[in-house]
Amino acid sequence: MANSMTRRYSRQGLWTLFLMCAFPLHAWTLLLAFRDLSWLTERTNAWDAVGVASYGLVFAFVESVIIFLLAALLGFLVSDGWEPERRIAVMSVLVLIASFWAIVSQLFFLFGVSLPGSVIYSLAQIPHPVRVLYAITFLIVAPTLLIPALMVLRSDKSYQATRSLIDRLSLLTTFYLLFDVAGLLIVIIRNLS
Amino acid sequence: MKPRFNRRDFLKLAGLAPLSFAAPRLLRTLQAAGQGSDAPRNVIVVVFDAFSAYNISTYGYERETTPNISRLSKRAIIYRNHFAGGNFTTPGTASLLTGVLPWTHRAFLPNSEVAEPFVTRNIFGAFENHYRIAYTHNGWAYTLLKQFHAAIDELIPREKLLLGSYDTIVEELFRNDDDIAPVSWIRDMKIKEGGYAYSLFLSHLYESLQEKQVEKLKPLYPRGLPTTGSDNGFLLETAVQTIGARLPEIPQPFLGYFHFLPPHYPYRTSREFFNAFKADGFNPIEKPIDIFARRVMKFLPARRAEYDEFILYCDQEFGKLYDSLEASGILKNSWLILTSDHGEMFERGISGHSTDALYQPVIRVPLMIFEPGREQGMDIHEYTSAVDVLPTLAHLAGEQIPEWGEGVILPPFTSSSRIPERNIYLMRANSNDQYAPLTIASTTLMRENFKLHYYFGYAEVPSEGLVKLFDIQADPEEMTDLAAAKPETASELLVELKAKIKQVNEPYL
Repeated sequence: MANSMTRRYSRQGLWTLFLMCAFPLHAWTLLLAFRDLSWLTERTNAWDAVGVASYGLVFAFVESVIIFLLAALLGFLVSDGWEPERRIAVMSVLVLIASFWAIVSQLFFLFGVSLPGSVIYSLAQIPHPVRVLYAITFLIVAPTLLIPALMVLRSDKSYQATRSLIDRLSLLTTFYLLFDVAGLLIVIIRNLS
Repeated sequence: MKPRFNRRDFLKLAGLAPLSFAAPRLLRTLQAAGQGSDAPRNVIVVVFDAFSAYNISTYGYERETTPNISRLSKRAIIYRNHFAGGNFTTPGTASLLTGVLPWTHRAFLPNSEVAEPFVTRNIFGAFENHYRIAYTHNGWAYTLLKQFHAAIDELIPREKLLLGSYDTIVEELFRNDDDIAPVSWIRDMKIKEGGYAYSLFLSHLYESLQEKQVEKLKPLYPRGLPTTGSDNGFLLETAVQTIGARLPEIPQPFLGYFHFLPPHYPYRTSREFFNAFKADGFNPIEKPIDIFARRVMKFLPARRAEYDEFILYCDQEFGKLYDSLEASGILKNSWLILTSDHGEMFERGISGHSTDALYQPVIRVPLMIFEPGREQGMDIHEYTSAVDVLPTLAHLAGEQIPEWGEGVILPPFTSSSRIPERNIYLMRANSNDQYAPLTIASTTLMRENFKLHYYFGYAEVPSEGLVKLFDIQADPEEMTDLAAAKPETASELLVELKAKIKQVNEPYL
């Protein structure tokens, strides 16, 4: 197992994958937490509003660890014929795109977007509308996940572009992790009092 | 070696087993028998949230919404003109619990807390010789109970009686920050509340785990499970059973405060009452669209029917609670109070109680007192207020009457048969600063036949304020504004109301 692990992942590679898992989760949490700050401050006070954001960051860190572990396990399914850095790039792309779709699904609610009435009416006429919706979603999401992953594996240009993106996002995510530390400290202070 | 405990010994002891099962009950009976009639009695306060007297058939509503309460009220004292302290949970509940009006306790903003002096000056502080137990489904009422927790012997965690909830873990884990940690948890995990959450993936996992937990119950609630506003479902049955089972176990005398969320929105009745009032021909009086109505709401009749069907569910569960307390013998030695924190309205283009308007349906609530041993019902028609409940209960339970209270001991428990003439006030100011003079508020004053509405500071009303006057005896539906027809009465009441507002503003100038 240890051999298999070291053969597939380097320490640096795992760290990069973790940062790529943490990036979308933290970016989304920070975005919503800032959105909540004003009304929370209005309802209670600034310290409580910061408290909510701090817990959010701590939970985001825990979620990042869980997603990272899942992604690392999933990485074992990728053939070890590819070099470790490329596998990390593939897994990173998969996590980033899956997160993108998760964000899109929530943005629909945030902006109050819903399907046109005629589409809802048509769906209501068929026997299993939810299944149909799931099937359509799968047909849209699956290619957007698989095509970029294959491109990273097979095209050097795509791989280099992905590496470049990962490098930039890694730096940004490191800052987010500093926020996590601050958040954790705030959570500890709040729970000591 | 001879065993110390042989078969014969075992059989002798086994013979005592039935006695051991019966002992607690026997002891309780002996304890109750030993208490003379002067011994302090228990007090059980049952609050149904957003329970408007207007929609209760016991109070004259055309639809038969409360058959059980009507049956039981034949032995109760019914206060026919009882008013909440505010028109939503925070001020209404705080007035009920502190015995003072919102402009005094200052908890008139959504989910706010009372001013510091009332952390101890409240019903729990006043009942210091009673074992005090409390529960609520309502998050805003829970904020107040948590503020009073030092005087509550047993505050049942709100999440304990909610379904499919893992939230207690967070409360346990962050016990010293149990206000904010759960708020963040909700923002993190509960995607159903607003359609989005901080968590991108685990929120979906959390949601499906919760769904799985309550799947079997769904067919029993065709409009969905009753919820607290976030995605935590609950059953009133669970709360009623838990409390009915707990009360016989706790030390006596006790004060129990139980604040159930139904019939608060979302109106999700049980299968038994689903569509009970659909197309029943009920036709409420058509009323003009109010200045505070956001838009003309065509769905008001359907919404009202759903609310009325939800009341049927509350009525059934109150009947069950009453019967269970009676069967356990608790009621022989307990005052049982049924009331609400505020009302609800489905008229004038307004649905619910999130309104600055103060019409009767949103402020007039039930108050019934079930006296131990009473066989005859009694109606009290004088105007009474939520602030009267605390002094009355303290008097009934043999506790000291709080000197800070703004209410009176209600008839028939006073030496005089009538309440001295007084004004009944009520206010809403949820856009005003909590500790600042009132500059944006809705207020009412009720005296004799008249009710004066005075709204000021809102964009919708003139700069000098909006005044309405109704004769609520002759015109209980508040259809004819008499402010122009009876200018002297309107002016006299307005002067008094303004003087009162000036007085309560003074500490914050």
